[in-house]
Amino acid sequence: MRDLLVIEELRAGYGEAVVLPRFSLNVAQGEVLALLGRNGTGKTTLINSIVGATRRFAGRLALDGRDITRLRPDQRARAGIGWVPQERNIFRSLTVEENMSAVAQPGEWDIAKVYELFPRLEERRRNFGNQLSGGEQQMLAIGRALVLNPKVLLLDEPTEGLAPIIVDELLAALRRVTRVGATCAIIVEQNARKILGLADRVVILERGGIVHEGPSAPLRADPSVLERFLGVSGGAGTPRDPA
Amino acid sequence: MTNFLTILFDGVAYGMLLFVLASGLAVTLGLMNFVNLAHGAFAAFGGYVCAVLVNRSGVPFFVALPLAFAAAALAGVVAERTLFRHLYRRSELEQVLFTIGFVFMAVAATDYVMGSSQVFINLPDVLQGQIDLFGVGIGRYRLMIIVICGLLTLAIQGTLARTRFGARLRAAVDDPRVASGLGINVPQVFAFTFAFGCGLAGLGGALGAEILGLDPYFPLKFLIYFLIVVTVGGSSTITGPFMAALVLGIADVAGKYYVPKLGAFVIYALMIVILIWRPHGLFGRTVAR
Ligand SMILES: Nc1ncnc2c1ncn2[C@@H]1O[C@H](COP(=O)(O)OP(=O)(O)OP(=O)(O)O)[C@@H](O)[C@H]1O
Ligand SMILES: [Mg+2]
Repeated sequence: MRDLLVIEELRAGYGEAVVLPRFSLNVAQGEVLALLGRNGTGKTTLINSIVGATRRFAGRLALDGRDITRLRPDQRARAGIGWVPQERNIFRSLTVEENMSAVAQPGEWDIAKVYELFPRLEERRRNFGNQLSGGEQQMLAIGRALVLNPKVLLLDEPTEGLAPIIVDELLAALRRVTRVGATCAIIVEQNARKILGLADRVVILERGGIVHEGPSAPLRADPSVLERFLGVSGGAGTPRDPA
Repeated sequence: MTNFLTILFDGVAYGMLLFVLASGLAVTLGLMNFVNLAHGAFAAFGGYVCAVLVNRSGVPFFVALPLAFAAAALAGVVAERTLFRHLYRRSELEQVLFTIGFVFMAVAATDYVMGSSQVFINLPDVLQGQIDLFGVGIGRYRLMIIVICGLLTLAIQGTLARTRFGARLRAAVDDPRVASGLGINVPQVFAFTFAFGCGLAGLGGALGAEILGLDPYFPLKFLIYFLIVVTVGGSSTITGPFMAALVLGIADVAGKYYVPKLGAFVIYALMIVILIWRPHGLFGRTVAR
């Protein structure tokens, strides 16, 4: 499979602080990558660096063969990066439908298809962003990224803080989304167990670097790697690394 | 009674004119958090463009109005791209100093180029005199102002609330970082909005020359009125400034008619009471954003 997203020797952070010292990663077309790691290990920083919302000190990024290193965030979004931010960041003075129509780009995904995926959003289409439950906000954040018709979907802890029944609904939807089209996805999770079934490959971060990388299937059978790097076997809320 | 209705009518016309003049400021201040005290300079610019076109070049008044809009919008783009955009991230005091300095430069430059005396625009005959409506004398010019400004108000409201551009602008204001991460060119949206607000001011300046008087000091004289419209109206919606502009227009016309010596006193007393009573403006949200 051809590499859709290529990150080469990326050095990035905020202000003077370097969070990712020297990061390289390739994601292939159609691949679903689970990005795991404890609190504060740099998962969000990596996602934001792909979006273009951090400070880049060195390195380069390419999307579908095109160098996007010097593109602004809005140009990267139009080039094919679909961002679901960790805080969801639904535009609160826009309705559910406007949250999508304001950013939509032509392609396979349109608002009607998102409503098929999340019927709840259609019921609430005229509600404003600040009138939604946490689960609805997350559905909308995903729908909003889908109507960008991205080549790479970036999901930053999509199940964080949601009730188990909503989590199952979301994961089922994500399974449908990631199995179609020529896209690829990076899903950040604290709770590894929940997405091992969804991911093709697993990358574990620690202090801004990759400490484990490999296919997800063996981890399903033998979670000792997860135990070693994430504390418990994929449990949520592991304490911060004291080092 | 007749007198009262005429005053009400004049006040409404005055208020709607103030709204069109100040609406651009409501957007830059309320949505983009940029304190642009130089807003009136674009209004004056539009007024002078209209005066020159009509009086010197013989352009018909109704053709000169959209040209005044375009000229002021263009001036707005140039000023925003070269000067004001450097101020977006600065403190409010720096924005105030910078834009006030800009106003004084505009006043001096206008005085130098156009002279210091008041300018009148030669109006077509259809806009002069009064018509009689149910026994109430209605000035034709003011009637035109109400019609034009009313339509503009609907257009502004509709653009903000119903168009894709309006949604993109609101998104850019809500969360500029995420909006840009989702493909919205935030500076471009802001620049366009700023230019449109300046264009509206320019149109307001052209329409208002007859009623408000146009001279080089126009941007300073009416600055306080614009600020009242925006602060009293609250900046979270466009309806707030609209209502505030109407109240201000009616109160000002009535005050000057009934208690001429206390006219200004009435306006500012009203403003002070409202700002104490409703800190987020008369129609603002009560919870800070
Ligand atoms: N805006 C910021 N400015 C400065 N430092 C930041 C900023 N955001 C995050 N950091 C720092 O960067 C490091 C990595 O944070 P990051 O948010 O990428 O971690 P994470 O793996 O996403 O954590 P979590 O699981 O809690 O979301 C942390 O040490 C954090 O303190
Ligand atoms: Mg994070």
